[in-house]
Amino acid sequence: MITIKFYSLLRLLVKIEQVELELADVPISTVLEEAAKKVKTPFLHKLVQDGKLITGTIILINGRNIHHLDKLNSRVQDGDEIALFPPGGGG
Amino acid sequence: MSYTVTDARLLRINLTKKTIKVEKIEQELFRKFLGGRGLGSKYLIDEIDPKIDALSEANKLIFANGLLTGTFAPTGGRYMVVTKSPLTGTIASSNSGGFFGAEFRNTGFMMIIIEGKSAEPVYISINDEDVKIVDAKALWGLSTHETTDKLVEAFGVEGAKVACIGPAGENLSKIAAIMNDKHRAAGRSGVGAVMGSKNLKAIIVKGSRRVDIEQLEKFKEIVKVQNGMLKAHPVTGEGLPALGTKVLDNIINSNGLYPTRNFQSAIFSGVAEVCGEALVNKKYLQNNTACYGCVIACGREVALPNGLKGEGPEYESGWSLGADCGANDLIAITEANFLCNELGLDTISAGATIALAMELYEKGFIPKEDLEDMVEPRFGNSEAVVYYVKGMAYRETKLAAKMADGAYRLGKAYGHPELAMVVKKQELPAYDPRGVQGHGLQYATSNRGGCHVRGYMISPEILGVPEKLDPQALEGKPAWVKIFQDLTAVIDSAGLCLFSSFALGGDEYRDLINAVLNTELTTEETLKIGDRIWNLERQFNLAAGILPDQDTLPDRLLHEPLPDGPQKGCYSQLQKILPEYYQLRGWDEKGYIKTSTLKDLGLV
Repeated sequence: MITIKFYSLLRLLVKIEQVELELADVPISTVLEEAAKKVKTPFLHKLVQDGKLITGTIILINGRNIHHLDKLNSRVQDGDEIALFPPGGGG
Repeated sequence: MSYTVTDARLLRINLTKKTIKVEKIEQELFRKFLGGRGLGSKYLIDEIDPKIDALSEANKLIFANGLLTGTFAPTGGRYMVVTKSPLTGTIASSNSGGFFGAEFRNTGFMMIIIEGKSAEPVYISINDEDVKIVDAKALWGLSTHETTDKLVEAFGVEGAKVACIGPAGENLSKIAAIMNDKHRAAGRSGVGAVMGSKNLKAIIVKGSRRVDIEQLEKFKEIVKVQNGMLKAHPVTGEGLPALGTKVLDNIINSNGLYPTRNFQSAIFSGVAEVCGEALVNKKYLQNNTACYGCVIACGREVALPNGLKGEGPEYESGWSLGADCGANDLIAITEANFLCNELGLDTISAGATIALAMELYEKGFIPKEDLEDMVEPRFGNSEAVVYYVKGMAYRETKLAAKMADGAYRLGKAYGHPELAMVVKKQELPAYDPRGVQGHGLQYATSNRGGCHVRGYMISPEILGVPEKLDPQALEGKPAWVKIFQDLTAVIDSAGLCLFSSFALGGDEYRDLINAVLNTELTTEETLKIGDRIWNLERQFNLAAGILPDQDTLPDRLLHEPLPDGPQKGCYSQLQKILPEYYQLRGWDEKGYIKTSTLKDLGLV
């Protein structure tokens, strides 16, 4: 089981906090596509454009940013928790 | 009536002698220091001995508009308070938005330099050229909101704007803020205490003079393009308007650097209850609000179920009064934030000081009798958070009186200054530097002590803007920190909001500055102005006796690894990157500015 948590504008957009998927040992790109099928409101365009992460998009696998793993090819295992944030900032 | 940007003059008001003078500002100073933080620092350094007691009559309090404040430049409404800080002993530059700065610029005055000390409480009234020092005995003791309402009513002209102190500033709390437009704070470094020490309760401004731009058509075109960039960028066009700065709670917590219980952990179990998303979903958020000239509109207009209304909490305030104190009651946190605004306390320092009191008390370092039967400061006790905000502002109990002077002095009073999470005696904001190495370097080298807005390295290291850096990598970080610090000094001195830099870069700020100064500065030359301002502030600090050995972090962050979260086991590796930073700055290996650097920057 993989848990995908939606934060900030995504949460306001999809109006749910998380979904769970029965997946294991797949790239994060597959997790995102499967999550998109399970959620009514389209949300992927807030994170990825033309197959690339939008500048400022934060996708964490167990708190690790996929930028420093293998980007959209980063592997996701059973039991992992994914956090999705569209670009955000403040201070 | 209008005047050109650089034709502005300054007001010199001596509260001891009750004199008011108008002076010209040399044109060359705009080219070298722009305005705001840079120009104010230049005057302060030229006019006071850095070694003076910050709360003595010898200190000066400077309200300085940025070069572009009051124009229609994007986010061009910010002003700066420059003085010697009673909290840190360093130079203090506290920045604020709202509408006060722009109205103040409309009077035709670029700066007000306040000298001396009034024998009785007074306020300063400025209506274009009509400047008066007025008795304020009836206002002394009032909250910032009551003061603002009474002054505006007495002034009798619509549109007047007020900056004032609350009881915290009057009681010389070293973490007191100056509040303008009721909800906006020149918050940090105890600038409110300096105003209180001068018996100056408030400044009210109203102006009818407009800043005239020489290259108007060009400027209009630049502003149109840049406002478009701000609206189109996902951070400034979408994230900040919808969720405000509190969009960060979950981002920072999920990355494992959300300081909890006085930096004893970096993961807060109560984040779901207090985050920006909760503020929206619980329907406390009523509207987003904008400062002068801003298309971002990140302000929070909030109404609580208990009937209280106000603005905030922002990310930093919500964190300091929440997670740092282990408190997860969003209503109490927001109420404590409103109280800070009304009593005139800096929210970051107030929350961080309460968090330290909680750790000291739980560890048995504060004797119970010092509480004088008031609420026990224990982590997670939101009632204590609300009480001690008030307690500090009025110095109500033996404990609260000590807390009113900030975390370092509180820790020292009870024998444990090492537990104060401060740099140069100023409380650290809401990012644990053990999880973000460049930001740790920026904390350690900030010219006003613990501060996140002198070079916001969270942007590249965590948010991935303008590009994503590995937060634990060391290579290249000193150069990033230097550029961010220099660019921030430019933005602050131009009178613009730092948030504009999520969408705008050095080239955009250069274009705005060139259009109003009639110059042809390159981006490199623009950044060099920031470098000059940075070194000017460093010169002040060194002369004040704040030496390079204070370019450090609390022991906890240097030696105790993060206990939990995705960055478990990490700690700040400041000492590995500080030497390269000194070198890039043109300082010697001990951190003193080389004469050749001062000459290159035109500071000798």
